[in-house]
Amino acid sequence: MTDTETVETTETTETVEKVEKVEKLIQPDLQFAKDVVAAGGDSLKKCYQCATCTVVCNVTPEDNPFPRKEMVQAQWGLKDELYSNPDIWLCHQCSDCTAYCPRGAKPGEVLGAIRKMSLQEFATPSILSKLVGSPSGLLVLLALPVVILLGLISAFGNFPSKLPLGDEIVYAEFAPTLLAIDLPFTIAFFFALAMFFLGIKNYWGAMAEGKKLSGSVIASIKGVIVEILTHTRFDKCDLIPKRKISHMLLLYSFLILAVATGIGFAREWGHLLGMELEHPLYIPMKILGNIGAVALLLGLAIVITNRFAKAAQLGLGSYFDWLLILVISTVAVTGTMAELLRIGNYAPVAYWVYFIHLVSVFFLFAYAPYSKMAHMLYRATAMVFSKMTGRNGA
Amino acid sequence: MEKDFGVYICKGCGIADMVDVEKLVSDVASNTKVPAEKFKVLDIACSPEGVEAIKADVSGGVNTVTIAACSPRVKFEEFDLPGCIVERANIREFCAWSQEKATEETPEEYHPQMTATDYVTMGIVKTQKVDLPEPNILEDLSKTIMVVGGGTAGLTAALDAAAAGYDVVIVEKEAELGGYGAKLYKQAPMEHPYEELEEPIVFKKIKEVEANDRIKVYTSAKIDKTEGQPGLFDVTVSTNGSSETFKAGAIVLAAGWKPYDATKLTHLGYGKPNVITSLELEEIAKKGKIVRPSDGKAAKKVAFIQCAGSRDPEHLPYCSSFCCATSLKQARYVREADDDAAAYIFYKDVRTPGQTEIFYKNMQNDPGVMLTKAEVTGISEAPGGNLFVEAEDTLLGEKIKVEADLVVLAVGVVPNTREYQEYQDNLTLESSKGDAAKNAFLEANPEPEGILGLTYKQGPELPSLEGGYGFADSNFICFQYETRRTGIYAAGMVRQPMTMADAANDATGAALKAIQCVEHVAQGIAVHPRAWDTTFPDPLMTKCTSCKRCTDECPFGAIDEDEKGTPFFKINRCRRCGTCMGACPERIVYFKDFSVDIVGSMLKSIEVPDEGFRVLVLACENDAYPAIDTAAFRGKKIHPAVRIIPVRCLGATNLVWVADSFSRGMDGLLLLGCKFGEDYQCHFVKGSELADNRFSKVQDTLDRLQLEADRCQMIQVGINDYDKIPDIIGEFVGKIEDVFGPNPFKGF
Repeated sequence: MTDTETVETTETTETVEKVEKVEKLIQPDLQFAKDVVAAGGDSLKKCYQCATCTVVCNVTPEDNPFPRKEMVQAQWGLKDELYSNPDIWLCHQCSDCTAYCPRGAKPGEVLGAIRKMSLQEFATPSILSKLVGSPSGLLVLLALPVVILLGLISAFGNFPSKLPLGDEIVYAEFAPTLLAIDLPFTIAFFFALAMFFLGIKNYWGAMAEGKKLSGSVIASIKGVIVEILTHTRFDKCDLIPKRKISHMLLLYSFLILAVATGIGFAREWGHLLGMELEHPLYIPMKILGNIGAVALLLGLAIVITNRFAKAAQLGLGSYFDWLLILVISTVAVTGTMAELLRIGNYAPVAYWVYFIHLVSVFFLFAYAPYSKMAHMLYRATAMVFSKMTGRNGA
Repeated sequence: MEKDFGVYICKGCGIADMVDVEKLVSDVASNTKVPAEKFKVLDIACSPEGVEAIKADVSGGVNTVTIAACSPRVKFEEFDLPGCIVERANIREFCAWSQEKATEETPEEYHPQMTATDYVTMGIVKTQKVDLPEPNILEDLSKTIMVVGGGTAGLTAALDAAAAGYDVVIVEKEAELGGYGAKLYKQAPMEHPYEELEEPIVFKKIKEVEANDRIKVYTSAKIDKTEGQPGLFDVTVSTNGSSETFKAGAIVLAAGWKPYDATKLTHLGYGKPNVITSLELEEIAKKGKIVRPSDGKAAKKVAFIQCAGSRDPEHLPYCSSFCCATSLKQARYVREADDDAAAYIFYKDVRTPGQTEIFYKNMQNDPGVMLTKAEVTGISEAPGGNLFVEAEDTLLGEKIKVEADLVVLAVGVVPNTREYQEYQDNLTLESSKGDAAKNAFLEANPEPEGILGLTYKQGPELPSLEGGYGFADSNFICFQYETRRTGIYAAGMVRQPMTMADAANDATGAALKAIQCVEHVAQGIAVHPRAWDTTFPDPLMTKCTSCKRCTDECPFGAIDEDEKGTPFFKINRCRRCGTCMGACPERIVYFKDFSVDIVGSMLKSIEVPDEGFRVLVLACENDAYPAIDTAAFRGKKIHPAVRIIPVRCLGATNLVWVADSFSRGMDGLLLLGCKFGEDYQCHFVKGSELADNRFSKVQDTLDRLQLEADRCQMIQVGINDYDKIPDIIGEFVGKIEDVFGPNPFKGF
């Protein structure tokens, strides 16, 4: 078959498709539109659909681009259209759209709010989504790790009034590794993993319904991983300074810290099995941990500075955004402080700082499927899905 | 008046660099027989010394002044000499600034000296023919302003005119004042901050009108007839069987509109029980609850279809301007009634003119007001008395349908002037096919009820405008409110589709025009656009053959006929364009400073050289002449073969000037007039079109002279064509030079 013939065939198919296109029944949902507004999309209704956002967006596919269509879908409360649509996650919130919007509708912020609602819709159980989603849930969420950890410490460890037992600060004397750390954190980790699995499964199901998937799963996942590791999509976001660097710092610091934690976990079990181990600062685990901490702190510093510097133009961000930023900041700051206080041997504060660190780490892990942290899996899933449906630019 | 001539030649602005002024004086003196001692050469004529010199002569008895200097369009205050005939020979723009400086090679016929000589000669020849005009003030003039229509526009016009000190009579056909404004539950905001609904403003205006001693109101009234002319209208009004006649000086026509006939919108579901018009929704809202007609259930999902019949070539081709604001307002009704209710608005484009844009933004912020661009393709029935709105090309998908429990059609505006205009146009069309067609038409179509009942030869109502869709607009941005009937000013929906806020503003404008009218006729000057002009057409009736060309052609219906069919002028209706003068085959119409003879004498005074070419340009003084001035001001050069004579309007151009020009040996005649047709620019609406029509028949005249018809050409130019006009003129002269050659009559 010659090239010309191929083209002709395609055209015919398209024509047939057009003719056969049936009316779609639209079901406007006022409550959903109100929810988007309440979830941080308060500028949603300002949009008058001029499509400037879509034109200035650097990351959208050219065919059936975003974010204008998402804006109008949200205005009409078309929940299912939005939730089953990978595009809301292809958006990386560079905020060009928000900066250029002639009506101050802030599409970037609105899509952020929709993403929040989307992942909370798919996450299970929904009670946790609700608690993470609004400031009123914060105390309950904090109470859970505080109660668990305090309980375990009082049962198996020592309260700071009796510490340190020797000359130096040993956090394991405060919270015994096996029973006060590994036990609750492993449970939290696997809980989060399981909940993520369920949420992503729901999400995939919603996206895939009635759609033809053509690409290979393995190749798509591989492509997405490379894209995430290289952050190529962030190259197109130039409005917010150093956004690529700050996000990469955060991503890589998490990866480094994960490796360091893995090593620590292995060493700990070695210790339990009778190996004699010292933890001087020059061993790989400590070096990696410290590099990770510095990278994390630096990344956070850039993120927070940018938020404030661009607040007038792009908005300060929602509670949902800030909850994650603050939790990670707490993890990073208390982690670093706990180490410094241990080295400096300043017992009166050290244990409580360490305690806050434990609570914040628990918070970060256990609630990850419901917090903005979940974006890593939802966005990755959406990217894989887009590749498999042949969405260009994805 | 015994004429005492004075001719003043200015040396300033580069004139003396181009022209030998001493030679100019001696040449013109010998051409015109005005003695050389009557000429004065002034260094700068408009300087205090120059003006002083002229005024000293005027005090010494000079009363007929020719100032050879700059364009008459500038320095008119300096050269304003009351009681004198003043003519300005434009040798600055037409000679000094637009001709090449002469060199040794410059042939005599293209020398600036000859150009200047011709213009000054023409100026003096004109003053020799002109008589000092005196205003024609008619007796028993009335300054009462009649307002037709008691809606928002009419009431506002009445209040404004009364506040300015004029007596007002309102004629309203309904039993109550208020118009459509009074039928509304609430109105879209007209006050800062333009965000909240307001009580219809008409109620306040009705109270003010009722309390105003200067305003007399006729309700349930119909105008039987309107006779006369501005300042002297005799209006006969009948109310409930009795009729009354009163005098009015000017009329504000605020006769309003009606909604487009929704029964023609079956494709949008009209006729189904829960498909209503926006006006019907107002009636429902006025009763207190937004319920649907079929079962009285509260409407919770209300779809608004914008442009229902508007912007649709099958129905109303235009945008009705107010419907977007109306639907947004009604969306508020829906939302205020129930926070869980939603309004779906399907629009072609949201058009919220003026401050209604702020209201639009405000309404858009409400999550319960959902908007999408869409072409609504149909309305079908859904279960439970609901309806599906089917649409394509929406922002929500290519083809969608949405379920609603009530559908509101935002129907557009039909001006109340339209029906009669359509009838009149169709009658004219059928009449042109012969008596049989005309009679058949008359039989099949009863004459619709008019509004004004004018006793004008040209018909009882306002004539239609091409592309005017039955509105009473002057169809031209410079002449808002003016209609083709002097003294009758349109305001509000009858003029063009608009919001209520705009209608109120419009009314103020129209009231001011009406005041201008009564004041000008009281001074015996033209009402507009020649608002300074004391001259008026003065026909020599003894030579009239009653051919009726003037009564047919007058763009303003200023000429009626008596019982014998003899035309007579209603001077206060006249705008002084001179179309009658151009039309008259007997050449009996003249103005004191503008007549067939005056222009004819001017063009005959142009020296036609044996060598080279001479082309006459008759330029409309409203657009073409200023465009040439501007070209000269910008240093553009105009072909030295041309001589330019301004005319009031190209419609005033009499065919005899063609014969005069060519028999004098002119090689070509170029007529520069305004654009005509749908986007016409003519200050006198029809003047340039009539001229074009007249000159299309010039073939006969030129054939008789055995000349090529294309030696005479009319070109439409606008005032903004100044950059093209030298080339337009140049090309025409070039064509004469290259194609036709010299006029064979030259030298005879």
